[in-house]
Amino acid sequence: MSWPVKTIAERTGDLLPGSPWTASVYVLLTILAVTAFMTVTGLVLIYAERKIAAHFQCRLGPMRVGWHGVLQTIADALKLLLKEDIVPRDADALLHILAPVLSFAGMLLVMIALPMSPSLQVADMNIGVLYVTAVSGLGVLGILLGGWSSNNKWSLLGAMRAGAQIISYEVSATLALLVVVLFSGTLQLSGIVQSQEAGWWIWRAHGCGIVAFAIFLIAGTAEINRTPFDLAEGESELTAGFHTEYSGLRFSFFFLSEFLNMFVLAAMTSTLFLGGWMPLHIGHFAVFNGVMDIIPPGLWFTLKTTAMIFLIMWFRWTFPRLRVDQLMRLEWKILLPIGFVNLFVSAACVVTGCYFFAR
Amino acid sequence: MLASAIPTLVFYLLAAISLTLAWSVVTGRRILRAAVSLMGVLAASAGLYLLLDSPFLAGVQVLVYVGGIVVLLVFAVMLTRTTELLEDHPTRGRQIIGGAVATGFFLLSYNMMTADAFVGRTLSPLPKNDVAAIGRALLDTGENGYALPFEVVSLLLLAAMIGGIVIARKPAAAAKPEAFHG
Repeated sequence: MSWPVKTIAERTGDLLPGSPWTASVYVLLTILAVTAFMTVTGLVLIYAERKIAAHFQCRLGPMRVGWHGVLQTIADALKLLLKEDIVPRDADALLHILAPVLSFAGMLLVMIALPMSPSLQVADMNIGVLYVTAVSGLGVLGILLGGWSSNNKWSLLGAMRAGAQIISYEVSATLALLVVVLFSGTLQLSGIVQSQEAGWWIWRAHGCGIVAFAIFLIAGTAEINRTPFDLAEGESELTAGFHTEYSGLRFSFFFLSEFLNMFVLAAMTSTLFLGGWMPLHIGHFAVFNGVMDIIPPGLWFTLKTTAMIFLIMWFRWTFPRLRVDQLMRLEWKILLPIGFVNLFVSAACVVTGCYFFAR
Repeated sequence: MLASAIPTLVFYLLAAISLTLAWSVVTGRRILRAAVSLMGVLAASAGLYLLLDSPFLAGVQVLVYVGGIVVLLVFAVMLTRTTELLEDHPTRGRQIIGGAVATGFFLLSYNMMTADAFVGRTLSPLPKNDVAAIGRALLDTGENGYALPFEVVSLLLLAAMIGGIVIARKPAAAAKPEAFHG
């Protein structure tokens, strides 16, 4: 079974020669849809975080606003929008305003490349993986500038920690990502998904896949500054880290991009290692594969991403926060060597061409 | 008509952004703002590469310059100064020398550009939009291959890395303190 990929960008391109105005309207609608998707995903993720956290601690979580508190995040978002927007007097106002935008842009630009289903992907670039690695670097810049421009020592310390952590773990994440690129032989995200038709890379790649998966998940969790790597905003040490001085709408930008980064990480993990929108296939068992194909690709993507998000939230209530030196040791002395060896072994596997599930 | 007008429009937009931001990099007195403007200039040149149909180059430009160099720059500035300090105005002598050098460079590049007719040279055109072709060319030891430059660059990077480690390493005597009173 083949999966023809048709992206939104391609559809706009088809419209362009005929009627440019229809194409423009199409682009506008896409922008609106992406914005709406992000807002709704953000609200759902915040609600899920609070509910899951509560249930891990044998509490109920938000229960008052709406059925089981489903409207709680909407109420909170409205409250946040009405808050006073403060720029500290001695802050660098321009950079203070620019920082959350940069942080948000880094996340938004990655969102564009995510393959959610064969028919639902905004742009499918030939350099997909490279693009994702490149534009996610903007997020660090937002955090660094936000911390520095606030002119507050906690902000500065938080930003320095976050910056050092993200830059360090980026190396491991990229090494793990390269394993998948090696096995699938393409940088295109939809191509990577399609290369997993016979089996997902997490197990089809001889153990290299599962090691790369673990490294990517750990490094990714560190890159999005979530527990157990949340030293950048450890309340007991740094008040709130780089966003101490932020309030109102700009704080919500940071907050939302943090939550959506979790979605992006989960989506990238499922795309690279768990087959993205590709249904679960086992070798050449035609009947089993046929049954799995009944479930639409978009649903597969949603299921896998949700599972990954739950796993990341689960981490938060399982592991204690690392110290700064432990954090650095984990990256440079443990993850990085394993990542290099893993990359080397998988290169050997690809060159000799041995796969568990040969095509 | 419109389809060809859009790239031209985008080019002029990117050029205007580059020039404005480049101006503010040079004239700005706040060093971190200058760094942010520099990021804008580099991102705009990535946009120009995209217009030239080389997405790979654009991606690498963003990855290396915006995500690497500018972040390092910002990091270094953050480590060295914590409060808002304005750069000093340059002295009269420096202004004169700087102006002379800039004018000379402008004249030189203007002459070079008007002297050459810019005939399109198509010796070995790369297949467009293909990362695989670039990868093969980089490792090709044949006539049109880039294996030697590639290896030389990796050697250079290795040397730079070793140099960095040597500089960052503690001296042997200081590395083993007898007792550490934290």
